[in-house]
Parts: sequence; structure tokens; C-alpha cells
Amino acid sequence: MEYNNGYIDSSQEKVITKKDLNHMVWRSFLLQASFNYERMQACGWLYSMIPALKKIHKNKEDLSRSMKLHMEFFNVHPFLVTFVQGIVTAMEENKESQEAIRGIKIALMGPLGGIGDALFWFTLLPIAASIGVSLSLEGSIAGPIIFLLIFNSVHIFLRFFLMHYSYKMGVEAIEKLQGDTEYVTKGSLILGLTVVGGLIASFVRLSIPYVIEMGSTTVNIQTDVIDKIMPNMLPLLYTLLMFYLLKKKKTPITLIMLTLAIGIIGSLIGIL
Amino acid sequence: MLLKAFLVAMYAGLAGIDLFDGLSHIHRPLVSGLIVGLILGDMKMGLIAGATLELVWMGAVPVGGAQPPNVVVGGIIGSAFAIMAKQDPTVAVGIAIPFAVAVQACITLLFTFFSPVMHKADKYAESCDTKGIERINYLGMGILFVFYFTVVFLPISIGAEAAQGIVSLLPPWLIKGFGVAGGMMPAIGFALLLNIMFKKEYIIFFVLGFILATYLNLPVIAIAAIGFIIAIYDYQKSKSVDKIKGLSLTSSTEEDYSDGI
Repeated sequence: MEYNNGYIDSSQEKVITKKDLNHMVWRSFLLQASFNYERMQACGWLYSMIPALKKIHKNKEDLSRSMKLHMEFFNVHPFLVTFVQGIVTAMEENKESQEAIRGIKIALMGPLGGIGDALFWFTLLPIAASIGVSLSLEGSIAGPIIFLLIFNSVHIFLRFFLMHYSYKMGVEAIEKLQGDTEYVTKGSLILGLTVVGGLIASFVRLSIPYVIEMGSTTVNIQTDVIDKIMPNMLPLLYTLLMFYLLKKKKTPITLIMLTLAIGIIGSLIGIL
Repeated sequence: MLLKAFLVAMYAGLAGIDLFDGLSHIHRPLVSGLIVGLILGDMKMGLIAGATLELVWMGAVPVGGAQPPNVVVGGIIGSAFAIMAKQDPTVAVGIAIPFAVAVQACITLLFTFFSPVMHKADKYAESCDTKGIERINYLGMGILFVFYFTVVFLPISIGAEAAQGIVSLLPPWLIKGFGVAGGMMPAIGFALLLNIMFKKEYIIFFVLGFILATYLNLPVIAIAAIGFIIAIYDYQKSKSVDKIKGLSLTSSTEEDYSDGI
């Protein structure tokens, strides 16, 4: 059973066609339809993976395990999601271990976020919008139309291109790594944990910019005390607290409510 | 006026969905100015107001997952106000921003209260109910549509100025508190990931990633590249060590040694 990577039916058949991939690209537009703070895009991601999963896992129990895997926390740049879809589809088709699939998903989240921001928010949107604005300010209806054309030709082309490209790449990479699943799993854990460490420091925002006045000097708790000990200490501690509470079987909902309460109370008494 | 408010609100519902799903960017002020202008009967003013608001929101994009004041409601209410009150588009900006901030706070609440639905989704996943998963996603979009429809329909049908008075009643600390909590929320997601992946022997890599970001200010892509290099090194090393020992970590009998030994 062990060498089946945990699947009941571990037969590796090529069942995914170009048409399936295109179908999944269309579904990927709904990535954030059920966005929430607990799992972020997970349910929308599962929605876009369903066509592939249904074809790949003919055994009911395998399908259920796979669907549960894809309900786990997921958050990627919404414009580049098809890149992850392609690789993950190739891995699912090849019945890779769930640890390896999870590792790849996590490893791609952060880097794609940076690339997507740079590509879409800092480049494509400002360029397309400035062209549109200059036309609109002259009262020309071409402004919004040209804006939408420029933006979406790049946007939609990339969605389809990345899906087919990464699926092909995933299939080839997997063929090379055949039989090395244990090592790949270990490697993806190393990669995943490194990235999560970096993500916490980069994306969790929590600081205490409270200023204490002592005679003529003022002390800013954040910049004069906490940052001197270790920058990003509060985001790290808060994440570890959340991790600890999860271990103590507290539900994510409790954690979200707690976070909301801390944010509002902290803001009310003026320390956060 | 009610019919016009209804039409603008219908568009707001679609644009609100587009902000998260679809992403065709029909929700940008540049486009909403035109649509609102056409509905309210002053296309030229709509175009100019939309372009002015577009410039205000140009830098306000969800970089790194942080949500700026709501661009959908800002663009639509701003353009509508400029046309209805025959105001200069720059005044419309001042009206639009408090609305946009208040709406974004509501979105934070929406994302909070949609979390419990995920446990329903877990059950659907467990029982392979793909239709159930699809319904949850359609429900999410439906809620967004109704939400945006309502927050745009009400102020336009009662007049933008009357509505602005209501928004200013919200205490600033509450709105700020939503913002602070929004910044902390990613911690929960990362904790969920740690809960799944955490293995004591790999804790050093987690620390490494944190240090690289904190002290070296490396972007996440560089950290991922470093993690990737370590993973590749570890992969090659443990593979060759196991080959020398003549045993494999896996109990697999399908190992392919044809290219190695």
C-alpha cells in the first residue's frame, strides 16, 4: 500500500486533454468567489480543479481525499493561478503524494505573488490606465474601451498560456523525478517551510506605534524598543500564537474573531 | 430616479464581482465613469469624473494582499455624485473616499463571516459532492452582488449628500480597527499551513526564511529561490547517500537505477 502514495487506485493514466485544461482556465476566473479569511481562495481553487480531479480519480475515496487536500488554505496571485493549476494537474494525474502536491502549491504561492504584483499592478494596469485616462479626459469614449482591450488581451492570453505551459512542464519534470517521491516530498517540505517563514515576515502586519512621554524624551514602543530587539517580532509571535491555539484545537473562526476583537480594541485604546 | 439608481446598482453588483472574480477590470473608475455617465445621461461628465477618480486609485491596488479603499464603490459613487450634483470631479473624490473606506471595512466583515461556510465545503469535499462546492462559490458571488447592489442603490436613491452624513457617523477608530485586524489576518492562514507542514527537524528552514525576510529584506521570490536551492541540494545528497548505502528511503520496488549504477 505504501508505494501507492496513499491512493487506492494509483494507476497513472493520461486522461487530461487540452479541452479539460481550457475548461479549467475558464473556471479559474472564479478563484476568489468564496474568498474568506480562514482558507482564502481554497474553495474557489477547488472549484477550478474539479474537472481534472473528477477525471483523474475514478475511485470515490481517492477523489474525496484529493478534494479535502485542495480545501486546505490557499492564496495565490489571482492572475497567475493557472500556472499552479497546470503543474498540480500534472502531479494529480501522475498520482504524486499529497505531501508533494501540497509542497508545490505552497512553494508557488509567495513567488507568484511578487511576480504578479510587479507584472499586473505595477506595469500593465498603470500603463493601460494612463492611456485610457488621457483619452477620457478629452471626453473620448475610446478611453475606457482601449483600456479594457489592452488590459484583457494580456490578461486572458497569460491565463491560457500559463496553464498549457506549466502542465507540459509539470509532466516532463515528473517523468524525470519518477520514483523519487520520498526525496521530492522532503525537498518540498524544506522549500515550503522556508517560504512560510518569509511570508510571515513580509505579509503579516502588526505593530505598536504607541509613544510614551518621559519628561523631555519620547519612546516609541515599536521603533525604539521592539525593532531594536527584532523587527517583525510581533507578526512572528502572533502567527506562533495562532499556531499554538490551533494545536489547542481552537477553530479558525475563533482565531478570526479574536483577531478582529484585538484590532478594534487596540485601535480604540490607541495602542495599535 | 429610482430606475436610474436601480441600473447603476445592477452595474455595481457586476463590477463588485469583477473586482474579485473575472478581473476583466470593468470595475475600474475609468470604465464605471462611462457606464454611470450613460445611465445618468451625461456621458462626457462621466468620462472625465471616471478618469479623475482613476488617477486617485491608480496606486491603490491590492499589493501583497492588502486591500485599499474600495475602488468599485469609490468610482461609481464618485462619478454619480459629480453628475447628479453637477460638481467638479475633484470634489467627487472627497465624497467617494469615505464611502470607499467604509465599504472596505464591510468587506473585511464579509470575509470573516464567510469563513464558517468552509466547514460546509469540507463536508462536500469529504463526500465528493462537486455540485455542493460549486454552489458555495456561486453563493459567494451572489452575496457580493447583493452587497454592492445595496451599498450603491441606497445612497444614489436618497441622494449622495444625505448618505454622506450617515457614513460620517461611523467612528474613525472602528474603521481603523478593521484595517488593523485586516493586516493581522494573514497570520491565521500561515498558522494553518504550519499546522499541516510543521516537522521539528525542518524548523531551521522556517527560521531561515523569516531571517532572510526580516534582516536582509529579501523579497519572497528570492527566499523561495534559496529554499529551492537547499531543497535541490538535499535531494541530490540524500539520493546519492542512499544509493551508496544500497538502500532506499522508500519501500518502493519500482526505483529506477538504470541511469545511475
